[in-house]
Amino acid sequence: MPKTIAITGNGAMAEAMRQINPDVVAAFPITPSTQIIEDFAKFVADGKVDTELITVESEHSAMSACIGASVAGGRVMTATSSNGLALMWEMLYIAASMRQPVLMTVVNRAISAPINIHCDHGDSMGARDAGWIQFYAENNQEAYDNMIMAPVIGENMEVRLPVMVCMDGFIISHSIETMEIEEDQKVRDFIGEHTALNSLLDTDNPVTWGALDLHDYYIEHRRGQQEAMYRAKSVIEDVSMRFGEEFGRKYDLFESYCLDDADRVVVAINSVAGEIKEVIDELREQGEKVGLLKIRLFRPFPYAEIAQALKGCKIVTVMDRSTSMGAYGPLFSEISNALYDAEAKPLLYNRTYGLGGRVMLLDDIKDVFKESEEYLNNGKVEKMFDFLNVRGG
Amino acid sequence: MKDKYRLKKWQELPPGGVITEGGNAADYETGTWRTWRPVWEEKNCIHCLTCWVFCPEGAFLLRDGKTPSGKDRKEIRKIDYFYCKGCGLCVRECPVNKKGAKEVIQFVREET
Repeated sequence: MPKTIAITGNGAMAEAMRQINPDVVAAFPITPSTQIIEDFAKFVADGKVDTELITVESEHSAMSACIGASVAGGRVMTATSSNGLALMWEMLYIAASMRQPVLMTVVNRAISAPINIHCDHGDSMGARDAGWIQFYAENNQEAYDNMIMAPVIGENMEVRLPVMVCMDGFIISHSIETMEIEEDQKVRDFIGEHTALNSLLDTDNPVTWGALDLHDYYIEHRRGQQEAMYRAKSVIEDVSMRFGEEFGRKYDLFESYCLDDADRVVVAINSVAGEIKEVIDELREQGEKVGLLKIRLFRPFPYAEIAQALKGCKIVTVMDRSTSMGAYGPLFSEISNALYDAEAKPLLYNRTYGLGGRVMLLDDIKDVFKESEEYLNNGKVEKMFDFLNVRGG
Repeated sequence: MKDKYRLKKWQELPPGGVITEGGNAADYETGTWRTWRPVWEEKNCIHCLTCWVFCPEGAFLLRDGKTPSGKDRKEIRKIDYFYCKGCGLCVRECPVNKKGAKEVIQFVREET
């Protein structure tokens, strides 16, 4: 039986790591993800895991050590946030292109400058092209569940890609919520043993990793990597289904909330979805046809499935908690791409919110739906791109 | 061209750019890099093997031979242009070349 406990998001991720019991964890603490590694270090000290914990001198070294340990044939995990993720940048690409299934929690935090410790998605969104599978989670339960599924997905022989599980800094990482922690043995049975592929320590079958790869082969390797991402989507569907059968919580590539008959839809990522659902419940009672599409999987991005889910709605507000300076928000760009081939295109616009932890209250969400109602009544979008809750408009 | 040297399709590659066989540098045709070609003149060669020592690609191939007084020795047989990348080290280090009266290894522009 699962245990229902009250725990922070960080605590939940540390529990997931304890249950996964990786061979190696290499990490450098950074707010707000620090508690994950603090808790995990305690598990190591108490002998609750068999993990070799490497306390490195920077996040660049953390990811480098993770890649080395993974290439040596181990199951490897780490966690970071914000500028820590930025310092890993070079190694993120190398982990992905060397097809090492490293597992990482990213506790989303704004990137400097100005220095800020609170939530937005600028860190992981900036890493969206690095070649990692990216999951996003509304609350600690989803983050935990995504992490339990992550090794099964990343280590699948058809995939072999690193997996990033993202959740909101402070809002989720430091807030205590009740959730279900599954039994250790059940989780371990679900995940199974790690299988090394072309391990450096297999001296009977010597291999070279990280060799030079010029114009005669680089593009072929990249093509294969893209294919692994395509294949990951169906593997994720299979694993999510198996997870649902085993543990009773069902996950699709994204969550549809009151979407079937909705005229006005908001597309959003992570914790704000909880507030949006609250507002939708209220507006639905008043007869308003509103709905939410909550992103779970951002890489690979499920274009066709999302286009299908948004079929029939009349207006879509895409809420980005990060900026791509000089462009629309990263989520908006993907939704816009997904809808390009749709037969009946809904009105579509982009709102940036919550940067650096700027709070979105329920009334702010209501304003979002009020605006989409106005736009729909007028039959046109006044402002394609705007910031919410910013002084000066 | 041997199948071994055929460029593979992306589907045929192991993931992550890993090289799964040991010692396969031998399969790599560094000769394609060459813009200048060392040409060995056997009649001028004293078989001191200086070129063989300096060559970074092991492109000087040897044969068994005799010194003028009849002792066994190794001699230069030929340059293996599959590996010779045209660096010119042999041309510079050849002691006969250095004396300047005769040339053992000429350095000529690769025919295009």
